[in-house]
Formats: sequence, structure tokens, C-alpha cells
Amino acid sequence: MAVSDKARQSAVALAVLGLAGVLALGAADISSEAGYAGIGPNFLPWLVAAGLAVVAVFLWFEAHSGGFRDMPDPLASDAPPQSAPCWRGFAWMSGALLLNAALITSIGFIFSCTLCFACAAHGLRQAQSGAAQSLRSWLTDLGIGVLIAAPVFWMFTKFLAISLPGLTQSGWL
Amino acid sequence: MDILNQLMQGFATAGTPINLLWAFVGCALGTAVGVLPGIGPATAVAMLLPITSQVDATASMIFFAGIYYGAMYGGSTTSILLNTPGETASMVTAMEGNKMAKNGRAGAALATAAIGSFVAGTIATIMVTLFAPVVAQYAVRLGPPEYFCLMLLALTTVSAVLGQSTVRGLASLFVGLAIGLIGMDQITGQARYTGGVPELLDGVEIVLVAVGLFAVAEALHAVLFEGATSESQNKLSRVSMTSADWRRSVPAWIRGTAIGAPFGCIPAGGTEIPTFLSYAVEKKLAKGEVLAEFGHQGAIEGVAGPEAANNATVTTALIPLLTLGIPVSNTTAILLGAFQNYGIQPGPQLFTTSASLVWALIASLYIGNVMLLVLNLPLVGLWVKLLKVPKPQLYAGILIFATVGAYGMRQSAFDLVLLYAIGVLGLVMRRFDFPTAPVVVGMILGPLAEAQLRNALSIGEGKWTVFLERPMSLGLLGLVLAVLVLPRVFKKRG
Repeated sequence: MAVSDKARQSAVALAVLGLAGVLALGAADISSEAGYAGIGPNFLPWLVAAGLAVVAVFLWFEAHSGGFRDMPDPLASDAPPQSAPCWRGFAWMSGALLLNAALITSIGFIFSCTLCFACAAHGLRQAQSGAAQSLRSWLTDLGIGVLIAAPVFWMFTKFLAISLPGLTQSGWL
Repeated sequence: MDILNQLMQGFATAGTPINLLWAFVGCALGTAVGVLPGIGPATAVAMLLPITSQVDATASMIFFAGIYYGAMYGGSTTSILLNTPGETASMVTAMEGNKMAKNGRAGAALATAAIGSFVAGTIATIMVTLFAPVVAQYAVRLGPPEYFCLMLLALTTVSAVLGQSTVRGLASLFVGLAIGLIGMDQITGQARYTGGVPELLDGVEIVLVAVGLFAVAEALHAVLFEGATSESQNKLSRVSMTSADWRRSVPAWIRGTAIGAPFGCIPAGGTEIPTFLSYAVEKKLAKGEVLAEFGHQGAIEGVAGPEAANNATVTTALIPLLTLGIPVSNTTAILLGAFQNYGIQPGPQLFTTSASLVWALIASLYIGNVMLLVLNLPLVGLWVKLLKVPKPQLYAGILIFATVGAYGMRQSAFDLVLLYAIGVLGLVMRRFDFPTAPVVVGMILGPLAEAQLRNALSIGEGKWTVFLERPMSLGLLGLVLAVLVLPRVFKKRG
């Protein structure tokens, strides 16, 4: 087993331990006022924090003694093929989602989602080919994005009366 | 006769044109979603959960049931033609079905999967019709201690028994319970883990977690790790079965149904065990030429049995959901969320308080099964075209729908940031093979179990022995222990 695998799995164990710590810190602030039950609102938080801590110890132990148990075998014939991680594509998609969160209330659902669609599709294309993208593929993606986002917007706002943010008050954009 | 009367009324409700339309749209949408790699029934229902704020309860339950069923049918199509099972349930179908398809028998495999699902779904729906009211009558007598033990059983089996590793399963469960803790405590109303963010006072929406964990994580995984991989698709042949296929399929459907149905009834979730069990039985019963087909040319029994078992389990899983309010899978957990959005808490009283809703839902299961058979046998060629959608557009499109689901629920841009964070969590979980079902089930069931626990202890005046003094809760605790210990003992020996 590669060294980096051990490091990664240890990091996961530490993250779980960290979560346990955060929960325990939070649990300390919750009142223990129990009423008739004998356990109050802070019981389950402490239990979950303790459970996570125990699981973290097990994970750490597994990571340091041959790796997590019963992992799917990457060499098995029916395992899905995996390529080297494409962080640039990942960054594009992350940007797409966060940009969407930032812009949706100001420029409206349709434009925000179109932008999200184009950026995410760009990231996926990059992951597939690795090459730089032409202006044309950008324009196609923007076009398809509008063609998906606009009908979805109208369907949800007009037929199902679910409010999604628009750019104008007209309800069509 | 009482049941028959109520069922007829259910048909009357479900049979109105508008409700039939909801059922049809649900089935069609579900099939499309099931065929597309990357999103399963749980995600599809979750993304559409915001409609619960506008559409009335009966119509939306009929709609969701259609999606739930349709996605099952669609999922088997993908696993037979592409060998990329979208969910664990169709893993077994992919084993034999894909081999059959490679040998030019895709049509027969698709036909036996569709007809087998129909047969099993219908038989299981009859079981739901007959047994759910009985279970509900009995369940009225259960008190908080028994409920808590039942929920403990469901949580234990979902996290510790299913999946590869108990440690990772429990890690997922605790993460789910932790997410469920966020918000106001149900009993005292105290805020927990909100960090002063007002959006978190109402808790984290189930839509957000499900869509983040499944859809967004899937898209992130695709962009990060699956870029250069290409898939080969099997050729579709005419969807029909020869008389020999029928002779071999019918007994396998019946056996699959018999194996699958009981598994759904107990709150011990998951379709993995019944489908694998059915596969093992079919292989064991096979002789001569048929046995030689298993794992080589692909044996039709290996598709027929597990598909039937899968559908039977999925259908009877509605019994614990409706009568006890205990979900045992991702999808039933989200359906429970949908009920909660209407302020309806599934449980034994559901059959009296919301009788017309329940019976309309059950009637729509019969209707949905027939619709799906019609949608799937002649139209399978149409659905298969969906597999041609190129990956960039497919996943980018999924993100748009994920946005609708997450934003539509509470109209808060904060939720979209949370959606991304949960997507990254799902990506890490998938990378290190942490199961996702315990997160969703834990998050939904956690607060309910906590309330039952505190009520039970109040009954016992603060003494934990209350769980040991009542025969039924004691028995259930024994069962929880057995579920945890027995597999380990067998593993050591075998």
C-alpha cells in the first residue's frame, strides 16, 4: 500500500476526531435540564460526540495497520476505471456552484444557473480532454444552459408556484 | 371486506384524471431519472420535495410513488445495457444482465426484468394491502420504549450490517445523527449547534443533504476522477421473450418475490441482502446447461429472480414506513420527510387519521405498476436514447436541478453554499467508501428516536431499566444485539 494512502486515511480519521471535538464543544453549551426523563437535550450530542471519537480511533488504527478494511479492490476486473484526479475541472465545478450561490438572488435563477451550467460543463470537458476549450463550446454550453434553466424556471414558478428568484418582476426572466 | 371497500375508495381517489396524470408524470420522470446514470430514486424524490409546499398531499404522494417505482425500472435498464449499476439494488442485475446483453440477449434480459418487476411489485402491493392495516392495529399498542428499540434496530442494521465495514458505517451514522441534531430540540425547544446562524434554527433540510450527498457529490466525483474513462454500451435487441425464457423466468420471479417481500417488512432495510440471496438461490437451483450460463453467457434466472426480489422488498418496505414511521432506506427516509412537510407523522394512527391518503397511495401503486409495464416494454428504445446524453451536459444539468431542489425549499442562498459543502463531504465519503444511507436515515430517524428515548425514560421515571421490564422492548434489544454479534461469529467460523 502506498504511503500516500496511509496519510489520506489518517487525515480522514483526524477529520472525524475533529468533528467529535466540535460536537463536544457545542454539547458543553447545551443545558442538561432533564425533567422527568433523567436525560436532557445535551444527552444525544454527548453520545454522538463520544461515538464519533471512538470511530475516529478505530479509523486511525485501521489506517495505521494496513489501511481501511474491506475497501473495494481497485484492481478487480469489474471495478470502475479511474483516472488521475483532475483538480482544474474540480475547481471549475466548485466555482460554478459557489458562483451560483452568490449570484442567484441578484441576477435571477435563469442567468445564474446558465452560468453554473456552462462553468460546470467546462470543467467536465476539461477533465475529459485536458485541452483548452474553444469559444464555440462555451457558447454551445451557454445556449444549452438557457434551454434547460428557462423551462425549469417557468415550470416550477408558473405551474408549481414555487418561488425562485427572477431578474425582473415579470416572472418570465 | 372492509379492506376491499377502502381499497376501492383509494382507487376512486387515485383514479381521478388529475391524480392519474400525476402518477403518469411520476412514472415517466422516475424512469428517465433511473435510466440516467448518476441519479437514483432518492435523489429524484429529494430534488422534487419542494413541491410539497404547493401540491396537495395525496397528489404529491402519488407522484413520489411513481418516481420511486419508475426509477427502479429505469435503473435495471441502465445496469443491463451499461454495466454501471446506479445503486446497490441493481448490482446483481448488472452481473448476469450485462453478460446476457453482451451475448445479444439484451432484449430478453430487459423483458424479464420489467415483467418480473411488475409481477413482484403487484404481489408485494397485495401484501401491503392485506398486512399494513393489521400491523397498524397491532402497532397502536406499542409505547415509546418499543418504538425506540425498533428505531435502534433500524439504525443498527442500516449502518452496521449493510455495507462493507461496520466502522465506516457507524461513522456515517454518527455524522447523520449530528446533522439531525442541528436546530431546535423537539422537546425543550432549545437551539443546538446553530452557531448563531438563523437559517439553522429550523434544522438542515433533508433535500439539501440528500441532493448534496448524491447528486452534487456524484458530479464532483465525475469531474475529479472519471474524466478520461469511456463506457461501452451494449446493443439493444428486440424486447421479447421466447417460450423457453418464460418457462425459466416465471418460477424465478415467484422465488424472488418470496425472498424479497419479508425483507421489506422488517425494519432492517436495504435491498442488498434479498437480491444477493435470490441470486445465490437461483444459481444453486440451476443445473446442467443453465448452470453453465451463469457468469458466462448470462442466465435469465439471474436477472429474473433478483429483479423480482428487489421490487418486492422496495414495495413491502412501505409497511414499516406507513405503519411505524420507520424508514429503512434512503428513499423511504426521504418519503418520510415528505410526509413530515405536510405535518403528517406516519405511524399506526395514519390508517385512521389519513385513511384516504394512505389508500389512494396504495391504489396508485397498483396503477403505477401497470403504467410502468406499458412505459417500459414498448418504449424501452426511447429511454435508452437518454444514455446518449454526453457527460458534461448531463452532470451540469443535474446541478441545475439540484439548485432548484435546494433553493426551492427555503429560498435561501445560504442553502446553496451548504449544498456545496455537503457535496464535498459526499465526495470524500465516496472516495473512502463510507456508505451514504446511514447519513440520511440517521438524520431523519435520529430526532424521532431521541424523542422516543426521552419519552420512554419519562415513563420509566428516569430509570433505564424500563427497556428491560417490557417483554417486547427486551426482545427487540436482544435482536439488535444478535444483529451486531451474529455476523461476526459467522465470519470468524467461515
